[in-house]
Amino acid sequence: MKAATFNWLILMALTALSFGVAEAGVAGGAALVPVLLATLFKGRIVIDRFMALQGVGGAWRWVVLGWLLLVLGLIGYAFQYA
Amino acid sequence: MWCFILAELLVFGVFFLAYAFARTHDVELFNASQLELDRTSGFINTMLLISGSYFVVLAVHRIRHGHSRACTRWLIAAMACGAAFLVLKLVEFSGKIEAGISMSTNTFYMFYLGLGFFHFMHVVLGMVILGAVTLKAWRGGYHATDYAGVETGAAYWHMIDLVWIVLFPLIYLLN
Repeated sequence: MKAATFNWLILMALTALSFGVAEAGVAGGAALVPVLLATLFKGRIVIDRFMALQGVGGAWRWVVLGWLLLVLGLIGYAFQYA
Repeated sequence: MWCFILAELLVFGVFFLAYAFARTHDVELFNASQLELDRTSGFINTMLLISGSYFVVLAVHRIRHGHSRACTRWLIAAMACGAAFLVLKLVEFSGKIEAGISMSTNTFYMFYLGLGFFHFMHVVLGMVILGAVTLKAWRGGYHATDYAGVETGAAYWHMIDLVWIVLFPLIYLLN
């Protein structure tokens, strides 16, 4: 359970980091990269650790991780280039 | 349940991308409207859902070891987080409605209210599922060798958390 508690604290810290970036008035590409990376890392913790998909056989983990990567990648593209 | 979860993720994904690409047509409007949101409320709500997910993980861990009562307590803690989330969202929504804002105010608010309410309803459904699981756990219906129901409820709750983890920066933070 120490691992779950550690993951929970990481999730809280990354949320605070993203919130802090926005509160500091950082915008555009300077905010996009850290906030999206923090979101990607948070999503991976939820998928692999909380949903416990890491190590599960079959394609379930890669489908959910793929969803996260695709959505965040396209959001990044839309905010930066589109 | 996993097919249902994937279908839900697909629907939310389409909405997220619709927001991101609709924003490109009027960036100034989206940025200006976003500044009217209560970012702190979104931040607290994120902490609540993350904590709720953590409590659900603890509940699954306890039932794996056959501790039905402890499992029940952690599930109740998770539902308390969900309830607090719903109260904060209702306060947020009512503030907007009192200010005369609706889905027809502009494109940003159409997405903000639409996506927010869609996710809100999923939290309500998640609480109903967790409530049913909690009741069964409280009655001793799960054991160390039979706890698939707890895991199923947990997977749905984590999906709600995962979706909010993307929704929060998209609607409240990025501009």
